[in-house]
Amino acid sequence: VKYVDEFRDGELARKLAVEIEALVEPGRTVKIMEVCGGHTHAIYKHGVEHLVPAEVDFVHGPGCPVCVIPMGRVDDAIALAERPEVIFTTFGDMMRVPGGRGSLLEAKARGADVRMVYSPLDALELARANPEREVVFFAIGFETTAPATALTLLRARAEGIRNFSAFCNHVTIGPPLRAILDSPGLKLEAFIAPGHVSTVIGTRPYDFIVEEYGKPVVVTAFEPLDILQAVVMLLRQFREGRCEVENQYTRAVSPAGNARARAAIDETMERRDVEWRGLGELPASGLRLRDAFADYDAERIWELPHLDVPDAKACQCGQVLRGALKPYECRVFGTACTPERPLGTCMVSSEGACAAYFQYGRREQVPA
Amino acid sequence: VLEVEGTNATVEAEGRRERVGIELVEPVEPGDTLLCHAGIALEKLS
Repeated sequence: VKYVDEFRDGELARKLAVEIEALVEPGRTVKIMEVCGGHTHAIYKHGVEHLVPAEVDFVHGPGCPVCVIPMGRVDDAIALAERPEVIFTTFGDMMRVPGGRGSLLEAKARGADVRMVYSPLDALELARANPEREVVFFAIGFETTAPATALTLLRARAEGIRNFSAFCNHVTIGPPLRAILDSPGLKLEAFIAPGHVSTVIGTRPYDFIVEEYGKPVVVTAFEPLDILQAVVMLLRQFREGRCEVENQYTRAVSPAGNARARAAIDETMERRDVEWRGLGELPASGLRLRDAFADYDAERIWELPHLDVPDAKACQCGQVLRGALKPYECRVFGTACTPERPLGTCMVSSEGACAAYFQYGRREQVPA
Repeated sequence: VLEVEGTNATVEAEGRRERVGIELVEPVEPGDTLLCHAGIALEKLS
């Protein structure tokens, strides 16, 4: 497959590994946060962590859309789904996320009309096909997914569809990165920045990491060679005394990003303070629908419980999401919390760090 | 991209066909490669 096979070439991977070996300072660990859950999975799926020397330590970041949703919002989603007039639509991995009152999947088993969709446009199609029902879309995700919600809202308004609404939980990537950089005891030295988010926002929103915190950033694609190349680029910056935002993912990401996608988000949504799992409330970090789209805003159409539900006591997703704990260091990893019966979000989502460690067999620390 | 119809395109990825919204990356032509997410195209690959 074009754009895939050439980025999985084993021979090239070995060459990059040799280059990394030559660039590290023996005995001095470099902690690199890969922000995006997609990178975490690529690293463990392809065994990238075995190709790099022990001095390179990948720390997993908060860029997993499902993982950062607090329990209370899941309960709000269930309250919407349980309304008899509602067809509640959601991405598949959100269905198994536990809230205080169980998951959407359990609500479905009790009779709620919960349906899995791949796109908000599929939810809009359901609204067209079921004019007597109210179709609600559980809008989650970073700037990667927000454009799809925005486009769907614009199409709904243009077509005069009145029985479609969004339960908006979109978030933005800048504020959690700043929160992590401000957290006490931080030991991170460099960032592998998300690829797909950056197709929308471009590379400039990461400038503050370089300018205010003095840590280098490489915007990176998702194949194993991409990640190895990003490590080379970061280590070269250290070696050459540079600190810059560099772009490894030039085949999809431009410095300015996709202005039309940002305009669609901006037309339909505005910033608000929201609560993050593991990071607390972060100012202007989330998105809500603008007043012009109030008729499409599930939170304004229906009264929601808005309860503050604490995470399960044993769950340590918060620390995993801040990069403070490795998944296998969590006290319930692989025992009380598994992909079959997850306690925490990081074990549920296909992008969660715990799910990656569990699925690809990293159950404990392996001596280098 | 196999086919373009108004603001939608039929795309093929790893043998699977899918319809995606293309408003954010227009103009699109058959043969283009798109980066798609949640049913819409986010960028044209070059």
